[in-house]
Amino acid sequence: MMSYLLRRLNLLVITAFIVTVASFALVYLFPGDPLINLTGIVPANSEAYAQLQQEYAFDKNLFMQYVHYIQEIYQGNWGLSISSHNSVLDEILLFLPATLELSVYALVLSTVIGIPLGFWAGLRYQRPVDYGILSASLLGYSLPVFWLGLILILFFSLNLGWLPMSGRISLLYDIPHYSGFILLDILHSGLAESQAAMQDAVNHLILPTLSITIVTSSIVIRITRRSVTEVMESDYIKAATARGLSRGQILWRHGLRNTLLPILPQLVLQFTALLTNAMIVEVIFSWPGIGNWLLQAIYQQDFPAIRGGMLAVSAVVIIFTLSMDVLLRLINPLKDRDVHGTI
Amino acid sequence: MLLLDIKNLTVEIDTSTGWVKALDKVSLHLKKGEISALVGESGSGKSLIVRTIVGAIPDRWRITADRMTWKGQDLLSMSAQQRRKIIRNEMSVVFQNANHSLDPTASLGQQLRESVPANQLEEVSFWQRKALRTDIIVKYLHKVGIKDHQQCMRAYPHQVPDDICQKVMLAMALVSKPELLIADDPTMGMEITSKVQILRLLTKLNQTQNLSILFIGHDLSAIANMATHMTVLYSGQTVESGKIGWLHKRPLHPYTKALLDSAPSFRKDLAPKSTLSSLDGTIPTLQHLPIGCRLGPRCPRAQKECVKTPKMRHISSHFYSCHFPLNRGGK
Amino acid sequence: MFMARSKLYIEEHYPSPLKHTWNEFQKSHVSLTGLWLLCIFLVIVIFAPGLAPFDPNKQQVDILLLPPSWDSSGSIQYLFGTDSLGRDLLSRVIYGSRVTLGISILLVLISMLIGLTLGAFAGMGHGLRSSILNHFLDSIMVIPTLLIAIIIVAILGTGLWNCMLAITLALIPRFIHITRNMVRAECNKEYVTAARLDGAGRVRILFDSILPNMIENLVVQGTFALSAAILDISALGFLSLGASATTPELGSMLSDGMELAYVAPWSIALPGCAILLMLVAINLVGDGLRSSLRHRLQH
Ligand SMILES: Nc1ncnc2c1ncn2[C@@H]1O[C@H](COP(=O)(O)OP(=O)(O)OP(=O)(O)O)[C@@H](O)[C@H]1O
Ligand code: SF4
Ligand SMILES: [Mg+2]
Repeated sequence: MMSYLLRRLNLLVITAFIVTVASFALVYLFPGDPLINLTGIVPANSEAYAQLQQEYAFDKNLFMQYVHYIQEIYQGNWGLSISSHNSVLDEILLFLPATLELSVYALVLSTVIGIPLGFWAGLRYQRPVDYGILSASLLGYSLPVFWLGLILILFFSLNLGWLPMSGRISLLYDIPHYSGFILLDILHSGLAESQAAMQDAVNHLILPTLSITIVTSSIVIRITRRSVTEVMESDYIKAATARGLSRGQILWRHGLRNTLLPILPQLVLQFTALLTNAMIVEVIFSWPGIGNWLLQAIYQQDFPAIRGGMLAVSAVVIIFTLSMDVLLRLINPLKDRDVHGTI
Repeated sequence: MLLLDIKNLTVEIDTSTGWVKALDKVSLHLKKGEISALVGESGSGKSLIVRTIVGAIPDRWRITADRMTWKGQDLLSMSAQQRRKIIRNEMSVVFQNANHSLDPTASLGQQLRESVPANQLEEVSFWQRKALRTDIIVKYLHKVGIKDHQQCMRAYPHQVPDDICQKVMLAMALVSKPELLIADDPTMGMEITSKVQILRLLTKLNQTQNLSILFIGHDLSAIANMATHMTVLYSGQTVESGKIGWLHKRPLHPYTKALLDSAPSFRKDLAPKSTLSSLDGTIPTLQHLPIGCRLGPRCPRAQKECVKTPKMRHISSHFYSCHFPLNRGGK
Repeated sequence: MFMARSKLYIEEHYPSPLKHTWNEFQKSHVSLTGLWLLCIFLVIVIFAPGLAPFDPNKQQVDILLLPPSWDSSGSIQYLFGTDSLGRDLLSRVIYGSRVTLGISILLVLISMLIGLTLGAFAGMGHGLRSSILNHFLDSIMVIPTLLIAIIIVAILGTGLWNCMLAITLALIPRFIHITRNMVRAECNKEYVTAARLDGAGRVRILFDSILPNMIENLVVQGTFALSAAILDISALGFLSLGASATTPELGSMLSDGMELAYVAPWSIALPGCAILLMLVAINLVGDGLRSSLRHRLQH
């Protein structure tokens, strides 16, 4: 276990190193003056430029520049946005929670829907129910998420007018920023109309969450189904049958754990795909999240913002994947045995 | 009374080249309190019979039989629930691949506890049940020769050697106090002392508790010592069955003779340094089963009629299926 | 003597592995349907100029936003109707499929080739170098390809060429990862050890023993990469980071039609359907291949 933790730590350090180096390299890779790309400050004259150079160790060699860059990142100075002149980190902290909120709901929904359906299909392997679920999941898995979002808007917002098509909450409500998670913020605000605001926020959430969930849960179904069919074919399930255990007992005591253990790491990996999908969906639904923000930064060639956004998203992905990895390892009884998926 | 009676059991399985009869009209029966052995080369279908009896084969395989009964009740036509009840309460199986037959994610202790039937716990109140369960398990673990029961119960299957898995499987099978124990090569790969210990345990249980055993194995001399009956299987067909002494003294089927001859300990008249006799060739694969008597291509006595499947014939209770049996001299 | 003896036995005959996989694949009608669909798309990719009734960029101001022919106000001449600039939608979808699918196939082939080379190197090698490479890959794999592509586009600037480059670069790590694992797994198998004991060199082993065993698996992975590439390229097009609005690319056609979605829903429905069908076909083929491969290995 110790050596495992050390290896993970090692991976974390290396990954963090690569990501920071990459983001530092962007300073030079982006077109324009590296110093401006780094700070987002456009110095008025050469004196100011020289001072800025000194401040960011840009008069020293690349290594010192990088070390200084890490210090600045660590202290929360991620540079200023060229277009809005705000601190990049502050903006990220404002927009990232909206994305995380969307992703978390979609993740929870996808697992809650996908795993039971996958089990159902796997237990009815090659029967009508299985074929039905499998076809539906193939369709869902083949849907481009941006198109799905558009179709949902077209149908539910424009044609039926049931649900709002953009934004997070109606402008009528002024919710003070607290956690960045809109539903929590509404609960926390204690406003008189919080009931109505809640309803409104949920309405806004439905379509974006649904778009992501349809795509992700299809993948979850496929992963789960395959694992279930593999486990149910295995010798120990047959041996348990031969011991006279009922189907329910077998499934509950032996099937569930054996099915889930190998697929949980695969499900964790789906989070990155989900986050990307969330960022695309934000654009369609004008959701004020990091994806939308990052894209605006790209259109406006706001390099400090692009760099910061990339760093933040990578950090979220890495921290999530690694901590889930460690968590799964802790609950896995087969700690010293590798559990690998097959082709 | 016949405990298990199987007549003309045929199992067809689907391979990449189509349906084949992996078992072709196999017959097997076992009386109460008897130890019966099932022998045959590797791949002859012994394990398949075991799995068919307990219903641990894929649903899509086709099973037909003239008769397949447990104490007179038909196993094939009864409901899954009824069959499960019989399997849970009255018979136990030890599968061949012990380490694959254990759930890799549950500790051995958990799996052992699970196999203690509820009716053995009825007389105590529910808070004492856990302790009683453990007591029962420990008793059986000691019986099968595991001394360090605590460590064993904590361990997961991949953490212990294969022979411990085999012993645990045996303990799990015995703990439900079955009437019939089906043991598929329970001593495979064990070193000699464990092997002797297990075989002695089985013989003792047979004598003291009237446990019937269907024993499958490759060690013919061990089988001759403990079993009373023997059924010889070749490539999915029963070739001969009967009391072990008769089979031994006067094998009627060429295959039985070859099999017995290949085990030197059976032949007291074996001249020193003479070569072992055995049949040419190997057991056919499922894709290329010969028609008629499946031993045909390898049989030294084969003649034209052998392309027709020989019927099961018998001399009193000694059954054989061969057109040209051995040792029938005067008759 | 030997001859006479061997005639006694029926010769063991097994179909070759590729044939066997194909036989298994054929058994599933659904997979075959997928394959046919994919073939149709390939025909479209190759023969787009011959199939499209109009020039995809010809603007006809007199027939803006003509509904598809099945609508009462549609015209049979413009089967799928026209878009906001009066361009024939059917021609645009045909050309768009060509651009999206054609480019994706190209990109997958290129990145497969590069990934295969680097992956074989990483898999056969042992020391520090390959260990560093492996760690590097593991880190890269965590970051979604689309995000990597977006960043690369941000560096290089928008446009179809940059997009293609970005997606290729983003796909390569996957192939390296897959190849490395497969080479590793194969290297530990006994036939490779046997070949090595026979004195075969590393490169020989790779080409003679390992690669032939990986082909089917690579094809399966290629179909996954292909669907990822299609999704990525159309997503970048949709986000206006890729193909410019004049290039008929399915993703950018979608973002074109977005503002007028309410008046002309067909202008987003049809290109999207084309992407969907493409992906369904590819995924069907990929799934079919994968399960027939698994089936073959089981028997
Ligand atoms: N799941 C399966 N699919 C296809 N064929 C199978 C399957 N299980 C068993 N067989 C075939 O059935 C035949 C009988 O196998 P079985 O395992 O019963 O042999 P066995 O007599 O137990 O051999 P051993 O002494 O090695 O245990 C073999 O030819 C085997 O190839
Ligand atoms: S039936 Fe013929 S082939 Fe079969 S064992 Fe008897 S003699 Fe040999
Ligand atoms: Mg066996």
